[in-house]
Amino acid sequence: MSVAFAERFAMPAVVHGPRPVISFHGVSKVYGNHVVALREVDLAIHQGDFCFLVGASGAGKSTLVRLLIREETPSTGRIFVEGDEITRMARRKLPKLRRRFGIVFQDYKLLANRTVAQNVAFALQVTRPGQRHLREKVEEVLWIVGLEDKLDKFPDELSGGEQQRVAIARALVHRPHIFVADEPTGNLDPDTSWGIVQLLLQINHRGTTVLMATHNREIVDLVRRRVIAVEQGRVVRDEAQGSYLRPGDATL
Amino acid sequence: MRRIGASLWFAWHSAGQNFKRNLGVSLAGVFTMGLIILLVGGALLFTHSVDSILQTQQNNASKIKIYISDSASLAQIADFQQRLKDDRRVISVAFETKDQAAKEASSDPDIQQALQTLGSNPLPASLNLEVKQLTDLAAFDKLAKATPIVDRTTATDYNPDVISKLHTVINVIEGIGIVIALILFAISLVIIMNTIRTAVYARRTEIEIMKLVGATDWFVRWPFILEGMLGGIIAAIFSGGIVFAGYHLFVQSAQRSLLSVPFDGGYAVTLLVLLLGGGALVGAFGSYLGVRRFLAV
Ligand SMILES: Nc1ncnc2c1ncn2[C@@H]1O[C@H](COP(=O)(O)OP(=O)(O)OP(=O)(O)O)[C@@H](O)[C@H]1O
Ligand SMILES: [Mg+2]
Repeated sequence: MSVAFAERFAMPAVVHGPRPVISFHGVSKVYGNHVVALREVDLAIHQGDFCFLVGASGAGKSTLVRLLIREETPSTGRIFVEGDEITRMARRKLPKLRRRFGIVFQDYKLLANRTVAQNVAFALQVTRPGQRHLREKVEEVLWIVGLEDKLDKFPDELSGGEQQRVAIARALVHRPHIFVADEPTGNLDPDTSWGIVQLLLQINHRGTTVLMATHNREIVDLVRRRVIAVEQGRVVRDEAQGSYLRPGDATL
Repeated sequence: MRRIGASLWFAWHSAGQNFKRNLGVSLAGVFTMGLIILLVGGALLFTHSVDSILQTQQNNASKIKIYISDSASLAQIADFQQRLKDDRRVISVAFETKDQAAKEASSDPDIQQALQTLGSNPLPASLNLEVKQLTDLAAFDKLAKATPIVDRTTATDYNPDVISKLHTVINVIEGIGIVIALILFAISLVIIMNTIRTAVYARRTEIEIMKLVGATDWFVRWPFILEGMLGGIIAAIFSGGIVFAGYHLFVQSAQRSLLSVPFDGGYAVTLLVLLLGGGALVGAFGSYLGVRRFLAV
């Protein structure tokens, strides 16, 4: 992971504004089957923050991510992204909203009938049609995640960890303002995981806001950045330099 | 411009790829579309042919005899004839003398006998008029009745019944042709929509992913619409060819059986263009409808 990459792929650093980049105000989400996934969540994430989102399986982490890009709408409450209330945003404005994010989905969401390079290029074609040097940009970001020799493979020809890295590359390639990763290292070995986290720290250093849901205790404890802990849909802990577990607790 | 170009290229590229990738469904769609275009083309050409035959009848019907009273002078007749000639609705006017009328009528033995018994010729002279539009005959009938030199008892041989009937038949047949074409058009739209929807259903996750990454509805939609257009055009080329060949054969065999159906090349070409345009339109619109429900991500 080169510093040169971070310079090219991260947003230029911006002075900390008073207005949060992302804010949740009393957000609850009840799914159609009456499962309450989030309850009364209040949250503010500022430009340049690096946040871990931790919590047991089923706590509501992915739901929170889905609400951010309006894949789902909250049952109550309001969500703001860069000053826009997305909960009431017109449907035709959603593409612009989603392009501000780079998202690594927990299930990757790769296009099965496109190659690795096409999958990554796709994110650029969608966000910036007519982009110059498409191929170089795609190859560069795939090189960063260590997949330079898999450009023309299809997703089902890749291992789980390789697919995950394609998803990461796709989320990075258009230089999003906000990088959201839902369990981006779940399928990676410790070394590769650490490499990815280093990469995220670098782009964060250049000003990109990073939100990363994870079960990786080691990483959270090593990096010591902001930790938001969710438990049964509630934010139970929000610490500036937190750890995976509450100090003194044996479990989440 | 660059952006639009790039988006269009992307759309074309995807459309082609998708067409190949889903060849089975694509071909099924093209086949059904082709079948319907065939029916539409056939129906339109058939009504057009029937129409042309009737049109011939109509032309024969577009004649009227204005009977001239025996007391009229030649100068008066020539004057009236000139007035009719100058009328825009008139194709030709011919003067038929009493003798000519008798000669004409004498082909009927009954009349010939009656003429002989009478000794004198009771048949009136007439101005034989040919007009462009069947519907104008009534006006000339009226004009004749208002003209002094015209025979008082029977002014013309105008028979509104026959003419209005013929006119109705032509209108009805044209109407039926259009209605059939419209019904087939609607049916094809529904079929295309469902074919495309089946094709799209298999790719709904792809659409969902595109939308979640930030693609606009149109970005997702274009490849499908181009794909539909492509299918419609291919279908129209094949069906149009078959319709054209079929029309040619039909006219030939009709002429052999002495039924004079004119081969209307201009109409056939117009129809081919129409079918191509219609195929593209139906394919595109069917795709638009087919994709719609999957875009709500
Ligand atoms: N589409 C859905 N429909 C109904 N219920 C859902 C849906 N998605 C999630 N849930 C439920 O909402 C709750 C929160 O799910 P969510 O996926 O947000 O958890 P998570 O914290 O991401 O878990 P994990 O760590 O396993 O990914 C769970 O109880 C889950 O069963
Ligand atoms: Mg999850």
